[in-house]
Amino acid sequence: MIKEEAIVQGLKDTFGFSDETVIIKRARRITADVTIHEYREVIAYLKNEMNFTMLCTITGLDLTDTFQAIYHVGNDEGVIVDVKLTIQKQKPVIDTITDIYEGTALYERELIDMFGIQVKGLPEGNRYPLPDGWPVNDHPLRKDWKSVAKA
Amino acid sequence: MSGGKGLCSLYISPEKRKFIMFDKLINWARMKSPWIIHFNTGSCNGCDIEIVSTLTPRYDLERFGVQQKGSPRHADVLVCSGPVTLQTKDRIQRVYEQMTEPKFVVAVGTCASSGGVFTGCYGVSGGIDSVVPVSAYIPGCPPRPEAIIDGVVKLLGSLEKKEEEEKK
Amino acid sequence: MGKVVVPVGPQHPALKEPEGFSLTLEGEKVVSATVRLGYNHRGIEKACEERTYTQNIYLIERICGICSHTHSTCFIQCVEELAGVEITSRAAYIRTLVGELERIHSHLLWLGVAGHEIGFDTLFMYSWRDRELVMDLLAMLTGNRVNYGINTIGGVRRDVSSEQIKDILKTVDKLEERTKYYIEVLTQETTIVQRLAGVGRLSKEDAIRLGAAGPTARAAGVKRDTRKDDPYAAYGEVPFEVITDQNSDVLGRGIVRVKELMESYKIIRYVLERLPEGELTVKVPKKIPAGEAISRYEAPRGEDVHYVKSNGTEMPERVKVRAPTLANLSSISHMLEGGYLADVPIIIAAIDPCFSCTDRMITVTDREKDSKSMLDWNKLRAYSIDWHKERGLDFSAISHLREDGR
Repeated sequence: MIKEEAIVQGLKDTFGFSDETVIIKRARRITADVTIHEYREVIAYLKNEMNFTMLCTITGLDLTDTFQAIYHVGNDEGVIVDVKLTIQKQKPVIDTITDIYEGTALYERELIDMFGIQVKGLPEGNRYPLPDGWPVNDHPLRKDWKSVAKA
Repeated sequence: MSGGKGLCSLYISPEKRKFIMFDKLINWARMKSPWIIHFNTGSCNGCDIEIVSTLTPRYDLERFGVQQKGSPRHADVLVCSGPVTLQTKDRIQRVYEQMTEPKFVVAVGTCASSGGVFTGCYGVSGGIDSVVPVSAYIPGCPPRPEAIIDGVVKLLGSLEKKEEEEKK
Repeated sequence: MGKVVVPVGPQHPALKEPEGFSLTLEGEKVVSATVRLGYNHRGIEKACEERTYTQNIYLIERICGICSHTHSTCFIQCVEELAGVEITSRAAYIRTLVGELERIHSHLLWLGVAGHEIGFDTLFMYSWRDRELVMDLLAMLTGNRVNYGINTIGGVRRDVSSEQIKDILKTVDKLEERTKYYIEVLTQETTIVQRLAGVGRLSKEDAIRLGAAGPTARAAGVKRDTRKDDPYAAYGEVPFEVITDQNSDVLGRGIVRVKELMESYKIIRYVLERLPEGELTVKVPKKIPAGEAISRYEAPRGEDVHYVKSNGTEMPERVKVRAPTLANLSSISHMLEGGYLADVPIIIAAIDPCFSCTDRMITVTDREKDSKSMLDWNKLRAYSIDWHKERGLDFSAISHLREDGR
């Protein structure tokens, strides 16, 4: 588990994270809780300093009181760090990471369509994954949205 | 016109299967060489692959005059798979409208028949018959190529009967 | 952009076709390309939150009918991790066996589709005929040709008998002979090499930068394979090579896939010769303790990623699926740009996309002529085949492939 420990130590040293914020869950799985002020730096650090060459996907969640976006980054040794960003619900706005990991526009568009989270700085493009006619303020993955209503 | 009963879903040895199929296909080809158009309305591709398989050597539908056509205007039978996603709903309606009479629709697979495992998902409309009239249903997840052929043969057999009755 | 001209093809001018691909041309070359997705958006992730874990196995298996075992296993791995259980060795080996059979059927399917896209229908017929051998094995082992349902949470539902093992090994021998021959075709058949070499270039740097996965990445020399990097099922114990190619083009992607078939045969033999004794399942509670897990699987197309969050009930809190084709989409635009319109079908087919691309409409904007038109895939394929015929690459002239002496 030496590799994972080096990654965790690097994050703690660079960002002042505590033992509760960065955790090794098991072999090849690390989680890090981050705020809106540092998430881009953390992601860039993992990519540029720790050789995390892959952004596997971004998972959006509705945690009732807040939203959450998990950036799952991976390296070539099979380690994944889940960078978990809490996002306020009242005006959910985050910045794009397409300048850090280029192939991530679609994952960010999913956050927009499915949760209504705004992503600033995204290049122009079609919506994804909902169809064209889908109403603008309708976000299926929110917890208060029920499938049955739309047969 | 449901094709749901008595389909080749029982295990029959490959040799016997071929024999039964050939017999039916020869009769069918005598009445008509149907031209089909294949359309996927959001399926997982399972049924599509089995439909395409019917054109490959082991099943080889083309020997009997069945041809796949790219344009709806030249097709007799619209072979559909999938639970009709919202994105494909308009398109399948349009494809159906562009076909000339007489025209028939075959719903291949459980999803095309009724929505299948995706029933209740917000992105799907339901079976093909929620959008266009269906002439034959071939359930299965996916149906074997033999079952697909059997369903299409049954459809054409029932049409032949109808033609004969109308002549009387 | 240019003004709209009457669209090509049988569409009603007033109705808008949902486009799948949008290409801008200068002469015969593509200068910009975008892919539009969402046709297959069914709402699966939401549905997962409203069904039990067991019901979800059957839903998730049907995300893709070509790699259904991939999705099912990847999802179940998350659930097993959350439940804190470890499956038996025997179950892990059986999952690996079915996974490799799936890879074989998928790669042979791809070989046929690629052949069809370039007008080489003989290759399509041969490879799909061989593929039927694998379909028979899968039907024998699992009861279905597609959507196998072999997995349950905690293990597998069916065992493998010694008779079945004999049949599998015999078939693998046959397939290996056929595959050696496909490798020859891809590396030595002049028309194929001329048609595919240099097409759809994706450099190693670009493959990494754009997040490519699977054979698309490996053909650019990126040695990335989840079976080795983040092992699951029995892959931690099974020796095999990760196949890469340095050509970084469509031909390389084909070569990687057929060589991977040879590795799959090796893996299957290893797994069957050492199949451990033991139970097929371990007990798992219906209510899964709260937690989060992320699992990965090397699908035939590349890395598949599943994330599951549990909340102590019988239904998951959140399920997220990232299928491999999504990882390769950014690379498509890059590979299409700078290439010929006539190469568009095979470049797209070469990433082995898990969507039915043949139903997609293609919008073509011609910068020089200032016009816009719509083609369907069949028309584009026909154009592509004719374009290459004019340049001496005619696959219809190859009426049969050399048999392997049997």
